[in-house]
Amino acid sequence: MLAVDATISRVRRDITLGTLLKALLTAAAVGCLVVAQTENVRIVVLLGIGALWFWLSLNGARTSRAAAESPSLIAAGQFEEAERNIEQTVRTFSMIRGVKLQALHHLALLRHAQRRWQESAVLARALLGQRLGTLQPLSKSTRLLLADSLLEMNDLGGTYEALNALSRERLALPEVLNLMAIQLDYSARVGAWSWMVQNVMSKVHLTELLPSASNARAQAFLALAAQKVGRADLSEWLRSRAELLTDVQRLVTERPLLRELWPASEPTVSGT
Amino acid sequence: MEAAEPNGFLNVDRLLESSLPRPRVNLLWIMGGSFLLLMFFSAVVSRTAPGPARDAVGLLSGLLFIGTLIGVSAFSFHAVRQLRAEQQRVAEIGEMIQLRRWQEAAMALETYLSQPARTMALRIQALVYLAPVLVRLERSPDAIAVQDYLIDSDMVDAGGIAAMRIGRAVAMLNEDHLFDADRAISELRRGPAGGSAALALVELYRDVKTGHPAEAIELFERKLPELRDQLGQRVADAYALAARAYDLLGREPEARTAFRNATLLAPWGELYRRYPDVKKLADRFQPAPAPPEAA
Repeated sequence: MLAVDATISRVRRDITLGTLLKALLTAAAVGCLVVAQTENVRIVVLLGIGALWFWLSLNGARTSRAAAESPSLIAAGQFEEAERNIEQTVRTFSMIRGVKLQALHHLALLRHAQRRWQESAVLARALLGQRLGTLQPLSKSTRLLLADSLLEMNDLGGTYEALNALSRERLALPEVLNLMAIQLDYSARVGAWSWMVQNVMSKVHLTELLPSASNARAQAFLALAAQKVGRADLSEWLRSRAELLTDVQRLVTERPLLRELWPASEPTVSGT
Repeated sequence: MEAAEPNGFLNVDRLLESSLPRPRVNLLWIMGGSFLLLMFFSAVVSRTAPGPARDAVGLLSGLLFIGTLIGVSAFSFHAVRQLRAEQQRVAEIGEMIQLRRWQEAAMALETYLSQPARTMALRIQALVYLAPVLVRLERSPDAIAVQDYLIDSDMVDAGGIAAMRIGRAVAMLNEDHLFDADRAISELRRGPAGGSAALALVELYRDVKTGHPAEAIELFERKLPELRDQLGQRVADAYALAARAYDLLGREPEARTAFRNATLLAPWGELYRRYPDVKKLADRFQPAPAPPEAA
């Protein structure tokens, strides 16, 4: 299994080496144009540099293609296979900075899926500390990973900071959904009930697009907020919907805060 | 079912034709080839030409080398930007569909597919989005035509094909092509979708549609945990179909409960739009009470 600290160090070292190599090859090409005495030497050296650059880029592209399989392996629950894939990407030298950063992101994703929140948060922070360049869109999903991991660790201050940074970003729909699920969880923990029931139907329509378990949890949080602000009818409606979408016992075990909705953990709606 | 006019809105034949990517000239290869030719020419000249001419050729070839590098970089940058913009456009159409902004999605698809796509992958993705929009516009035959095209195209992955076949089976049931739908369901059972909640939902619909309520109820009760876990909010569809099956068997209390659960999770209008057979239930049962915001 990949050790998080060692992986971060290795990725940083490879990125530095890659940058140095690119600078070296560029300097050699310019130097050759300026210094080389004969045209033949100039051509041979330039072709050699071009070929080396091309070969290294091709290698990087191959590694990148292999690494791109990791998210689908993680989604399919094939964690060992994903770990091996990421390990190979980390250990293979690549001149392309993005390949290494993506490997770091995939490892953060993997640790999050394995519910190893601490490691996922460390990896996400290390990635966000890098200059992402063309991979800038990755910063949003990484920040969401960070926010969720910190929330699972009950680090509310850290979660707030991560969520706050995301509020300034333009997000795609899957990110919006993910963000809303985390925000509802966070808001329930800090008791921001009024915020939770503002534009409640917009939030409900978005939760409906989440996978079943997350959908049920989000609607249960909204039901709790409605109960707290004295909207018994809304709370009852949302609670009944959540009951139809998941096992209440599991929901309450994962989020004890929700026990207020089901004091005896007995569902009130018959599943037929 | 309304038939599409030859040049009408979202005309499938026209869009399949117009969205085909144009063959592109690969400028990168042309630039690379020209560069190599120049290098060769410069090497020959530097061997044969006298001193000043050789120097001039050397300088020119150096400048051309740098110019080619800049040209290739600028061209790649422009191409990548254009590709990203188109990817973004197709992704936005997907979001519109998820958010049930059907009219906007239909307009965006009409515009996007009316011109050649940049890549075949983006065109296929847009066609995947076109099928549910056509179903929503109650144009199931057109949706089936798109799904047939995609299934035969061999350009969609196994999971995508399975989803497409499921969508096509539903469209066939909507069109009362019961024999074709039954055959499609049998094929699906043997494929990667076999045993999935999505397939169970189609089977449930088939059983209700063909007047086999006992089989529908047996399937619903056996598969409810998977239906709930895999379909999310769309488990409402299963409750609505189960309500109709209970009703057909005269099991009124169960029908009432299933109807209540269905309308708790989804608006009634949305449910009978998807499954016209359940419309009769509205005369007999009351939808679940909802707060004013949701009414």
